[in-house]
Amino acid sequence: MELPFFRLLGLAVRQLLRDARAGELRVLFFALLVAVMATTAIGYFSARLNATLLLRATEFLGADLRLSGSSPASPEQLAAGKALGLEHAGVVEFSSVIATDEGIQLASVKAADSAYPLRGELKSAPALYQPDSRGPGPSPGEAWAEARLLVALNLKVGDRIEVGEKSLRLTRILTQEPDRAGSFYSLTPQVLIHLDDLAATGVVQPGSRVHYRELWRGSPEALRTYRQEVEPQLAADQRLEDARAGNRQIGAALSRGERYLNIASLAAVLLAGVAVALSAARFAARRLDASALLRCLGLSRHATLALYGLQLGLLGLLACSLGAALGWLAQQVLFWLLQGLLPTQIPAAGLLPALAGSATGLVALAGFALPPLAALGRVPPLRVLRRDLLPVPPSAWLTYGAALLALGLIMWRLSLDLKLTLALLGGGLLAAFALGALLLLGLRTLRRLLAAAPLAWRLGIGQLLRHPLAAAGQALAFGLILLAMALVALLRGELLDTWQNQLPEQAPNHFALNVLPAEKERFMAEVARIALQNAPLYPVVAGRLTAINGEPVKQIVSKDSRGERATQRDLNLTWTEQLPADNRLSAGQWWDEVGSGDLPGVSVEAELAKSLGLKLGDRLTFSVGGLTRDTRVSSLREVHWDSFQPNFYMIFQPGTLQDLPTTYLTSFYLPPGHDADVVRLARSFPAVTLLQVEALLAQLRGILAQVTLAVEYVLLFVLAAGLCVLFAGLQATLDERLRQGALLRALGAERRLLVQARRLEFALLGAVSGLLAALGCELVSALLYRFAFDLPWHLHPWLLLLPALGALLVSGAGLLGTRRALNASPLQVLREG
Amino acid sequence: MSPSILVAQNLSKVVSSAEGELTILHGLDLDLPHGASLAIVGSSGSGKSTLLGLLAGLDLPSSGEVVLAGHSLAGLDEDRRARLRAEHVGFVFQSFQLLDTLDALANVMLPLELEGRADARERARELLERVGLGRRLTHYPKQLSGGEQQRVAIARAFAAEPDILFADEPTGNLDSQTGERISDLLFALNQERGTTLVLVTHDERLARRCQRSIRLEAGHLVVPSEP
Repeated sequence: MELPFFRLLGLAVRQLLRDARAGELRVLFFALLVAVMATTAIGYFSARLNATLLLRATEFLGADLRLSGSSPASPEQLAAGKALGLEHAGVVEFSSVIATDEGIQLASVKAADSAYPLRGELKSAPALYQPDSRGPGPSPGEAWAEARLLVALNLKVGDRIEVGEKSLRLTRILTQEPDRAGSFYSLTPQVLIHLDDLAATGVVQPGSRVHYRELWRGSPEALRTYRQEVEPQLAADQRLEDARAGNRQIGAALSRGERYLNIASLAAVLLAGVAVALSAARFAARRLDASALLRCLGLSRHATLALYGLQLGLLGLLACSLGAALGWLAQQVLFWLLQGLLPTQIPAAGLLPALAGSATGLVALAGFALPPLAALGRVPPLRVLRRDLLPVPPSAWLTYGAALLALGLIMWRLSLDLKLTLALLGGGLLAAFALGALLLLGLRTLRRLLAAAPLAWRLGIGQLLRHPLAAAGQALAFGLILLAMALVALLRGELLDTWQNQLPEQAPNHFALNVLPAEKERFMAEVARIALQNAPLYPVVAGRLTAINGEPVKQIVSKDSRGERATQRDLNLTWTEQLPADNRLSAGQWWDEVGSGDLPGVSVEAELAKSLGLKLGDRLTFSVGGLTRDTRVSSLREVHWDSFQPNFYMIFQPGTLQDLPTTYLTSFYLPPGHDADVVRLARSFPAVTLLQVEALLAQLRGILAQVTLAVEYVLLFVLAAGLCVLFAGLQATLDERLRQGALLRALGAERRLLVQARRLEFALLGAVSGLLAALGCELVSALLYRFAFDLPWHLHPWLLLLPALGALLVSGAGLLGTRRALNASPLQVLREG
Repeated sequence: MSPSILVAQNLSKVVSSAEGELTILHGLDLDLPHGASLAIVGSSGSGKSTLLGLLAGLDLPSSGEVVLAGHSLAGLDEDRRARLRAEHVGFVFQSFQLLDTLDALANVMLPLELEGRADARERARELLERVGLGRRLTHYPKQLSGGEQQRVAIARAFAAEPDILFADEPTGNLDSQTGERISDLLFALNQERGTTLVLVTHDERLARRCQRSIRLEAGHLVVPSEP
């Protein structure tokens, strides 16, 4: 009979309530709930932490978004931002000679309006070497300058300086500008004045080299709209930057942290999928008889399917909404617990994580429950007379394939990272297939060995061998759960190590530029005396790349590329015998391996080479101090820009630039509390520019500490979710074991024998799952390292602990789950079937 | 309405097995009027349950034809046969086939709910009272004895007021005293409601209570059905 939809729905609701009352839905409901809760909580946690970190990173830009150019922004570009309600600050930067009665000094001048900075802090001190404090910038008529300008020109607070044609009073010492980080290499001292004084300086004339920066701050939506409106009409000299693009160190740390959090959410989705798959299959299996009966009672195939589909859908909706709500609550609690460690303002994350969490649950439910459910539709009604009749095998490939595809789409939507999704899902699948086949073979071989084993072994392991396919399926499922957990733990370690390496305890916190050749020995001796660690002294010659293989470089570079930015200005060119310690050759050979060719060699940073389309053997022409030098690309280097070491785009073969005017550059680490030493150093070597990057380091460390914290908590979350899912999944496979246990006890088996048999069975299952997880984890991590993290991969011997861990976990959870069968009267269990 | 509720003509069932083709039923004929009762007896493996499945439209014969309540089953697909079952047929099984997750009342209500009857609850309660389980309405199958479960199954079978009731070893899982009470109940309802009764049984005493009885041996009808 065909039932109208609402009658079917009513029936489904009533059946569902009855099933719930009978305790029938507990396992599936719990699995769904945990899965959705974990996915949602991790999703929210990651998204909000990411937003928090990005917010902190905006401090390095002084804004959320920055429009930079060598010409002023057009009135339309400014109006567009204001129309969207964005806050605005205007900044103009230029180089100028600062004149006093004592002398002159080239300085970088920044003219900023009163709104500057929109993000981060501006700090200044009332006098030289006094403690600094935060506050708004200089008023019109005032100038703030870095200490080294005062040292160089023998100035004190209160003196007057000339910037162009305008005389300004020096009122404070500039100690920290938020957006200084991107250019801490700059050679000249920094001066900050009010934008209103700019015109009066007369410095900005047509043709003068000036950078205009419009800073914007506002809601992500408004910023996105602004970007969309402004980006297509950018002038050739303009570009839009956000926090990520503004600073390499921060950008790299953020991207890695983000990817980790992404992987953790993806692992949670995977966990959810496995949990739901296990319990949905059980849900369907337990309804084989019922559906045959319904068919007997005259319900059509279609209506039977619809009835169960509706039940499953209702259950899914309920569990998923509740799970999403609980997940949201869980992350609220987590943030509340962490309130002392995180910034006070944590952006909300909208509905996406909750929707993604629920969708994951529903898709996993549909994907993994529909194939067995479809089988219910094919149960022959004759099964009421003959129990042995099973449904025709479903076209499982198609349906499971669709489920995996849907899961893949969710993962992609969640991570917005196709490579990551493919590496994780593809790696997981590949591992599952290869290892599943291996496992099936192993189990079949084991059967032969078991005949002579003691009873407990035969009972325990025989249970697994009786249905090798089902046992392999279970081992795979538990293996996937362990894999997800191990992977998240493994990446955590790797990530923290990387950051530790990037920012070791004694990362250089001072840079010394402009060390003159005559002073370099004396300077290095002095540095060696006060500093705990220092980098080698690098010779520096300023030069510009003008042609590639004879073709002017301007015609080659694409607009707004790294190549364009690197060729628009003078580069710091250096030479060295040794490859710098943290550089790695990705192509070609270092000097000692190259024979001397027609032209001297140059080693180019790999990303710049890519952006300029350079390959080994290309001829590069540089203009250096008015002279032209031809070189040939002899190697490409990978450079860790996120390390605080002096790094160079171009390293020349020694002997190429020696005849040109050279200064030297180095970096060193000075423990805190040695400010007086720096002052002394600065006074002994007035020509040297000393840069303190302690503030930048501290900010970066703060961000890394927060990411680390997030990583630790997410790991805990994933581990907890994994355990819950493992338990729920095990519950779903217990029916047959409970029955067998009761039967054996009825036949007079002692409790001890049963416990032993169970323990062996679960231990084997767990150990095999652990082994699969270890192998799978190596495979997936190799893919992830290669394609997502860009890290060198190596074996992880500790993964070999996984089989033992798996055995422990599964037998613990399994014994807990079968405790009832071992303690209850066998009669009760047998009657309950 | 045709005078016969159930007609089978030249009914055969052949299945393929590892040893080749196996004929379970050989050219069987049957004609049953409304309100009659028929016992199908035979030893295990004689083809009784197969015959029941074919007569009830749960399975299709390899050759021959079944006409149930005036409709030939040949040419009806599974869903059309299901509709026919819903309108005319009730079942009682040896293993009761109650749904574990439903209590006694809900099990009996099920066919009524499928029909969409508003009085499902009252009617199910009535029927359970009729079979003597008025005080066990909220008990789950696991909490009922075998006899009680079978009584729930009988109440369910009669709930939809079928024209014909098929019972597969209805007393097979019960002791003789309980079995006796179940068969009393079956025949009483058969009388009260004029339902045609077709039952498969080992139990000679149960078979004797039917108006007609046929015996199967290795798929052959050895005792012709005589009124």
